[in-house]
Amino acid sequence: MSATGGSVAACSLALILGITASCGCSTHSHRLAQPRQLFYSNQLDQAHEQFDKLSEKKRRSDSSVVELDLAMIELVSGQPRACEQRLRDIRDRWDHLEQDSALESATSMLTDDQRKAYSGEDYEKLLLRVFLTLSSLMQDGVDAESYTLQTIDKTDDLREKAKSKWGDGVLESYRVPPIAPYMRGVLREVSLSNYDDALRAYQATEELLPAAPFLVADIERVSHGVHSSPGHGVVDVFSMIGRGPYKTEVAAQATSDALLIADRIVSVIGQYSVPPTLAPIKVPEIVSSPMPFDVLGVRVNGVPTSTTLPLTDLHALAHQTFNAKRSDIMARAIARRVIKKGAVYVAKDQLNASAPIASLAMDGLGVAWEATESADTRCWGLLPREIQMLRLELPSGTHSLDLEPVVNERPCGRPTQCTVRVEDGRNTYVLGYWPDMQPIGQVLVNNP
Amino acid sequence: MATSPMLFKRPFGKTQPLVLCAGALVLVGVAVGCRGYQYGHLIKNDQPDLVGSHSAGAEVFNPLIDETVAKMLGTAEVASQHGLVSPEGMPIQRSVCFVGVENKSAEELGDFKDQIYQQIDTQINRSQAFRAISRRMVDAGLQETRLRPDSLLVPDNMNLFCSVLQRDGQPVDYLLYATLTSGTTERNKSSQRDYLLTLELIDTHTGAYTKEQASVRKGYHSSYLGKAVNYNPFKAWK
Repeated sequence: MSATGGSVAACSLALILGITASCGCSTHSHRLAQPRQLFYSNQLDQAHEQFDKLSEKKRRSDSSVVELDLAMIELVSGQPRACEQRLRDIRDRWDHLEQDSALESATSMLTDDQRKAYSGEDYEKLLLRVFLTLSSLMQDGVDAESYTLQTIDKTDDLREKAKSKWGDGVLESYRVPPIAPYMRGVLREVSLSNYDDALRAYQATEELLPAAPFLVADIERVSHGVHSSPGHGVVDVFSMIGRGPYKTEVAAQATSDALLIADRIVSVIGQYSVPPTLAPIKVPEIVSSPMPFDVLGVRVNGVPTSTTLPLTDLHALAHQTFNAKRSDIMARAIARRVIKKGAVYVAKDQLNASAPIASLAMDGLGVAWEATESADTRCWGLLPREIQMLRLELPSGTHSLDLEPVVNERPCGRPTQCTVRVEDGRNTYVLGYWPDMQPIGQVLVNNP
Repeated sequence: MATSPMLFKRPFGKTQPLVLCAGALVLVGVAVGCRGYQYGHLIKNDQPDLVGSHSAGAEVFNPLIDETVAKMLGTAEVASQHGLVSPEGMPIQRSVCFVGVENKSAEELGDFKDQIYQQIDTQINRSQAFRAISRRMVDAGLQETRLRPDSLLVPDNMNLFCSVLQRDGQPVDYLLYATLTSGTTERNKSSQRDYLLTLELIDTHTGAYTKEQASVRKGYHSSYLGKAVNYNPFKAWK
């Protein structure tokens, strides 16, 4: 072998090693497919075990989303305290990771976005705080009000950042999840002395959900009435229905917006410019499964009473906030492709690999390098698609609730029973998760 | 191959930019891109509060509370000189039921509402003229009667509420309401918001009431120069 051939071979070997080291063995969504399937088939212990093994590898870039899935398992297994603790840790970690790291950014331009530590999508940051509220309510609720405020504050913070990045046009996409002000209203109302705060909170929820009929009654009650009649208490049923948003990899055509942003990125790095057209690039996309049923029917002591109603559409929230940054994600993928191609040309030039075989080998390596790239599909995969709620005012004492899926106003699944203890002038909270027709784990009651 | 010697005999000057670029990238990554930690510090009593950029905070509420409570206690002090005294010659403390803080301002109080309540409650309780009834007793009374705080001024409701507290060993001489209001003046990208805290003290025996207020004005601007433009000290001379 000639000296040049040897050099090219050596460089090729180095490139291969680099590629092998830089690419993951499989995408995030593939790696977690099995434990997530165990969760959906209600095998919570096995699912917990598998997720636990994955989360032990702390240096993995997707460890935080694995922990989010673990938190979800803990919540529906009746361990809201463990869930809250885990979510709090992730919240603090993500707050830290929100700061940019130039080193990670540079590395990700040579590999893919999965090289960056995951600090959560914007919708996940909001929902994390929503689930902190719910998990706190399922215990003593001592921090629940703080978590609702944190959700509202975080939304304001993300809105400001989105506005400065992408302009006023994205503000419509960045709206607080309606459950956050609603929960604040519920908590202020039950204090029996802060009806003014409750009114503000319900009005804020109504702005987000103008068609929700239950809010009219809530606003009327806190404006002129009281929380509950003497000798009565309230049961708030929160149902999580359907399989929620997750990311999947798709091949997308570069949009003109993305090409423009990519051109700016590339021009900062070198003298190259982005070609006007490109082959499709791999980007993540938010998808959700359809709702398994419409609402949850509730029977109180065997008597059909009412149904839960939609309070927060998690799919819409995820879709809207993710779409706002889609051009940025696409631009990074385009810039990465240009940089990789540029690097191969520079390497060829530096090594004088003009011989057809050497050139072909380098091109082949370049293709392999590009092929190792995959879209960042890291996400909180066990979220529900929708959160619904129902407020029931019941006499003090113990009551039996039957919760059953309803489609087109007709019950269509086996009811799930739970017992609640209603206290005079107090709230009792019920929480369950129906990804399909049957609930996962147990229906939680903070006051069984 | 002819290219082989060139590869190894390439003048150092030609490869130097690449090496330098790679080195610079790593250095920039390490030096600039490291994520920082979050730090906290204790604020000394004589240090000023942070001034909220979007809404009112400690810089507004603390002086409002101090001023209104001081005014109210000052008025009560004067009144007590002509009021009931104990056999030892000391003015008899009157019991105050602090019903709550009502927010009628343009801003959400967030976690400050309970803070305002506690601050007012504590300052009243420290005074010689009044004795505040525990908030837990007040909440229990509201829960038992299912009365709204704003409905306690209806005579029947007031009697019912006071009788419940009296039954529990907490006779009520006064009901106290705190109300926060605001008024906003807009001017282009700047705005001025006047915050007003009102304390209303209602005598449950006679229905008479006294009222004390304090206000703080605050300007909000979209740029640092906004303050100088809108509150130029030289403008006052014109």
